[in-house]
Amino acid sequence: MSNAQIEIQLIACIVAIACAIPGTFLVLRKMAMISDAISHSILPGIVVGFFITQDLNSPLLILLAAFTGIITVVLVEYIQKTGLVKEDTAIGLVFPTLFSIGVILIAKNANDVHLDVDAVLLGELAFAPFDRLRISGVDVGPKSLWIIGSILLITLGLLIAFFKELKISTFDKGLAASLGFSPIIIHYGLMTVSSITTVGAFDAVGAILVVALMIAPAASAYLLTTDLKLMIIYSICFGVFSAISGYWLAHGLDASIAGSITTMLGILFLVIYLFAPNKGIIAILYREKQQRTEVSLLTFLLHLKNHKEIEERHVNHLNEHINWQKVRSKTVLDLALKNNMISIDKNIVSLTAKGDEFTSQAIDYIITNEDTQIEDMKDDFFLFRG
Amino acid sequence: MNKIAVKVDDLTVAYNYKPVLWDIDLEIPEGVLMAIVGPNGAGKSTLIKSILGILKPIAGSVSIYGKSYKKQRSLVAYVPQKGSVDWDFPTTALDVVMMGTYGSLGWIKRPGIKEKKSALEALEKVGMLPFKNRQISQLSGGQQQRIFLARALVQNASIYFMDEPFQGVDATTEIAIINILKELRKANKTVIVVHHDLQTVPEYFDWVTFLNVKKIATGPVKDIFNDDNLTKTYGINYKVSIQE
Amino acid sequence: MDVTEYIKLVFTDYTLRTITLGTAVLGAVCGMLGSFAVLRKQSLLGDAISHAALPGIAIAFLISGAKDSNVLLLGALVSGLIGTFWIRGIITKTHLKADTALGLILSLFFGFGMLLLTFIQKQPNANQAGLDKYLFGQAATLVESDVWLMATVTGICFVVLMLFWKEFKILLFDADYTKTLGFNTKFIDILITTFIVLAIVLGLQTVGVVLMSAMLLAPAAAARQWTNSLGIMIILAAIFGAFSGVFGTAISASQNNLSTGPIIVIIAGIFVIISFIFSPNRGLLFKQIRFIKNRRDLQLNKTLAFMHQIAKTHESISHPHTVKILNNFQGYTRSTLQQLVNKNYVKLEGNMWSLTEEGFTKASNLYNQQTSDNE
Repeated sequence: MSNAQIEIQLIACIVAIACAIPGTFLVLRKMAMISDAISHSILPGIVVGFFITQDLNSPLLILLAAFTGIITVVLVEYIQKTGLVKEDTAIGLVFPTLFSIGVILIAKNANDVHLDVDAVLLGELAFAPFDRLRISGVDVGPKSLWIIGSILLITLGLLIAFFKELKISTFDKGLAASLGFSPIIIHYGLMTVSSITTVGAFDAVGAILVVALMIAPAASAYLLTTDLKLMIIYSICFGVFSAISGYWLAHGLDASIAGSITTMLGILFLVIYLFAPNKGIIAILYREKQQRTEVSLLTFLLHLKNHKEIEERHVNHLNEHINWQKVRSKTVLDLALKNNMISIDKNIVSLTAKGDEFTSQAIDYIITNEDTQIEDMKDDFFLFRG
Repeated sequence: MNKIAVKVDDLTVAYNYKPVLWDIDLEIPEGVLMAIVGPNGAGKSTLIKSILGILKPIAGSVSIYGKSYKKQRSLVAYVPQKGSVDWDFPTTALDVVMMGTYGSLGWIKRPGIKEKKSALEALEKVGMLPFKNRQISQLSGGQQQRIFLARALVQNASIYFMDEPFQGVDATTEIAIINILKELRKANKTVIVVHHDLQTVPEYFDWVTFLNVKKIATGPVKDIFNDDNLTKTYGINYKVSIQE
Repeated sequence: MDVTEYIKLVFTDYTLRTITLGTAVLGAVCGMLGSFAVLRKQSLLGDAISHAALPGIAIAFLISGAKDSNVLLLGALVSGLIGTFWIRGIITKTHLKADTALGLILSLFFGFGMLLLTFIQKQPNANQAGLDKYLFGQAATLVESDVWLMATVTGICFVVLMLFWKEFKILLFDADYTKTLGFNTKFIDILITTFIVLAIVLGLQTVGVVLMSAMLLAPAAAARQWTNSLGIMIILAAIFGAFSGVFGTAISASQNNLSTGPIIVIIAGIFVIISFIFSPNRGLLFKQIRFIKNRRDLQLNKTLAFMHQIAKTHESISHPHTVKILNNFQGYTRSTLQQLVNKNYVKLEGNMWSLTEEGFTKASNLYNQQTSDNE
């Protein structure tokens, strides 16, 4: 591995971590699309900043562009408040318009601005190591490494300092306000951090990858845990993993690094989406099937308990009245028999003592709706699965 | 005993693993004004939504006048909860009421003069004729509810299902709804209303179903609307002062 | 270049005519279908779909090896639809929320598309140049067959819209109720979604992946402000969309270095801003004016009512009182008093005021009206 390769991977990893932290909160606060909006609408800010500073890596430019991000958020919220259009539409109107302004600004000043719209959207990580920071003539590393590194340090500092406030205001706005943490300050603080991170990362990895790095690791982590701290840690790990594996994918295919990292994020999300132990699609479908059978069983037992009349308890009644297909009825009947819940005598079904007790318990739980009883119930449900 | 208008057999509905309705058997005779009462989360709306085929039950069947609901759809009208739609939708009161005729029109065919006439009549009945060209967002909550009611009236059905029509309405609307309910009963229609205000049950309705996930009781208000059933339904010791 | 000259050019110059027609038709169809997206609260779905279409274009190119735009659009359509249904799958099956699902699919598909595009660019295939026009769109590459395709799709859209007008309307307004009337809501829903995806895919070549969502939303959001009728809204949206297309093409054609897509989006954005501010019923300007006027009227009425209270205690209404009494009253200012005098409700003599007959009746009516309003 050459020096440049290590530096590229290092930058990619730091960007991934810097994005994963605000990203987690954006996903939890249902504001993922805001990050998409910010990533597009900072373009005019970058262009104007470039006119002023003539340096893409200047901190002033980053602040100016981040300010455009905040303006986007304010504008979106203002339009939402007027009630003239529905919530989402406001976002969808603001960012393409601002982005267009940026594109036109670049086009009109193509000779003065060494900016390329493609590069803004996609970044060019491969070139990052060539723009080096020199302090009194000594090469201290790539500029973008220093920029994104400082942003990460600030983000980390803020995260540690305000973790409690962020947590409360994310999960319970009302409580946060009553405890004296202004949700508005937290909200705009988060928006500012997201904007700065987006700007800081864009010229290395491009606007779209910033969005992917913010949302995808957090969304993947959210499918695995609901613990906030764990979620942040998982997001960071996923981000770093995709950054490094994406780099090597790009290396192998000789394709865009940003695109490859996003693709790795996509594969990672797909795998977790399918196989996450509790919230993955396969687990959910399996559970739904189980639950359908279990609920059917309970329905059937309850029906038996409710009806003493013989005709209501005839095996055929299951098909006719409860409106199930033959297969389902048979599955339910077998399951109940296997667990000694019922006995069948000349096609007339009766509850056994065990079945009767179980049904009463189930009814109790359902009627009282108390969650304390749900734990026992879960154990009972597992009994059937054996 | 009258004919049975709606018969529900062993109906069970669950959202995810959480059962919402359990093994409901229900027979609603023709021509009654029935209230469905029960605490929040008791499955009242779910019950009528599954009767109407909006939700798919896990088990059980529903019949309307002895035939499956699908065949008898034209006999049934529905008044959804007012909050279930976006009232900022660009359309007028008359237009919304006209939607009641879409079912009998079927696919593609457009409403004509006949449909417009019946829509105007329905608007008249709920006292909303002067507002027929008003944009629906510019109507008060009560007026919106009356528009929904008019839309169901246009369907000219035999059985009406109403989901909380009295919620958040003004006195004028409440009276208007009550008058329409009475008129419907006179015409021997069956009306099933999800209702919240226990105090007004004996005054407005003649039939009642107590529901809390499973059916607690159903029958004439004068026979079964008592503290015992209320306690069973609402869990805590519930007492209503019923005005004699 | 002056305007008449330009218009002449539109009719004589083949390329310009093609582009103008193309963007106009595209704007119209996007406006039409965008109305549905806006009313269904699926505004950002368009953004996600347009980004999700990118890998489809790349894969279609990889498979066919040709740059035939119809084949590429077919790829875009398939990949856009996959994205749409995956978004739905995420929202319905997991606890991830709509915005996360949209952002995910948008960025992941786009990133994958970019991977493929950069991969293709490195291939020794002379044909691949120009695929990146789908990023920002290049109206200049429109040819007559593209316009025909757009026109055909718009035509089909229009016919289907007219046929199923009633069904679309009722589904948009109240889906559950539509079900109880016996309509197959899934069918209508898929029809609408497919058309929206189709419109987006058509626009990719002209406006590009990034700005496509604005083409869909802006005309509809502007149109909504001017009317309360769904039909008129859709027609207006189509007109706004078409005009954005035509103006955008004109501006970008008359200037150097301006790509059409962003200009069209900005024009559409200007339509939105004008509509937000100046529409007579919903517009912010008139709302503010009405608000100020109401507040003035209220102040005036309050002062009048206060005077009425004082005058009532005296035998004659025209009994004069000093202006000083009013000073403690909140609604009172010199100008409100002057306005009351102008309206002939109050007579002012030096530092003394008195109610006129007219003012007294007005004030007592005011009082009655207010109490009856409360009932």
